[in-house]
Amino acid sequence: MGVVNYLEALKLQEKLTADRKIHKITDTLLSLQHPPTYTLGKRRTDHNLLVSEPELKAMGAELHYTERGGDITFHGPHQAVLYPIISLRDVGLGARKYVENLELTMIELASLYGVQACAGQKGETGVWVGEKKIGAIGVRISSGITSHGLAFNINPDLNYFKHIVPCGIADKEVTSLQKEAERVVPPEEVIHDQLIACFIRIFGYTDVISKDSASISSYNLEN
Amino acid sequence: MASKLWATKAASCLRISVFHRGFATVLKDLKYADSHEWVKVEGNSATVGITDHAQDHLGDVVYVELPEVGAAVKQGASFGAVESVKATSDINSPISGKVVEINKELHDSPGLVNASAYENGWIIKVEVNNSNELNSLMDSDQYAKFCEEEDAKH
Repeated sequence: MGVVNYLEALKLQEKLTADRKIHKITDTLLSLQHPPTYTLGKRRTDHNLLVSEPELKAMGAELHYTERGGDITFHGPHQAVLYPIISLRDVGLGARKYVENLELTMIELASLYGVQACAGQKGETGVWVGEKKIGAIGVRISSGITSHGLAFNINPDLNYFKHIVPCGIADKEVTSLQKEAERVVPPEEVIHDQLIACFIRIFGYTDVISKDSASISSYNLEN
Repeated sequence: MASKLWATKAASCLRISVFHRGFATVLKDLKYADSHEWVKVEGNSATVGITDHAQDHLGDVVYVELPEVGAAVKQGASFGAVESVKATSDINSPISGKVVEINKELHDSPGLVNASAYENGWIIKVEVNNSNELNSLMDSDQYAKFCEEEDAKH
């Protein structure tokens, strides 16, 4: 399980999206982590970034503007990121149901560790443990093909979140699986694998072919 | 069962089709793309929006990205986007032409797309350059069937 530069992962997603659109590949799932990276969505809500870009760079973090939905967020080591590149039309899902399934994926994973998480209230898409956010979602759907996806906090350095208003929701904290679980969580590869298993089950895929490169795990999915 | 029959009769008087499965509305007189946009053509002017089925499957729209007036649009190509539940979804144009008007109400009230998908939630008006393109779109009955088949997949 490697740490992949954000722009590199974005380029890969763009290629996979184009390939999926012309049916060159089946539904695909990427599983990875990022180095410290802040990202904004299509609405460019940079008023929720509380430090300047030079200060960000001094911390060793990057900043990227994207076409996904959602507000500002942080990605970093020890946070599991899943990017499903799937055809919503082929599985008959709309955006709302797709995002609900992404939420369920993280909720189910958390429950494996005795952590009771739930989906957000209306307008607060994501996964929460009480008033604290443990998982974030930001998706792009282009000609019915998804890109971007979810980010689940296994044990990232939560101090990075202090430099933003996470997801534009003030007065709410961020948390992680390690913080909420009552025991030490297993190595992150295990968590990634479990998260993928939850995803596959919730979305009903039956055939999974895994292709591990050095840093990104990629799965071809069929049902 | 009786109330469904009544609804269908009332609907045909009002010239709308009513789904029996769900509540998504499909209007006769409009043409539909398989990416769930509708187009209403009057002469060489067309109004474009997304369908009731689309808005229901998207969730509450919080943001609409509109093109510039004067921009060219191409049938099947993206001209803007909507955001709902932290997902941005491209909107594709059902016809080719030039944007002559955009619905500025959507800046402050993006929810009009949900509340009034076929009326106040219209998105752009286009000067059509090839009305033959309408032949490749679905009519209301075909679109209603298309939606049923799509929804049956999961």
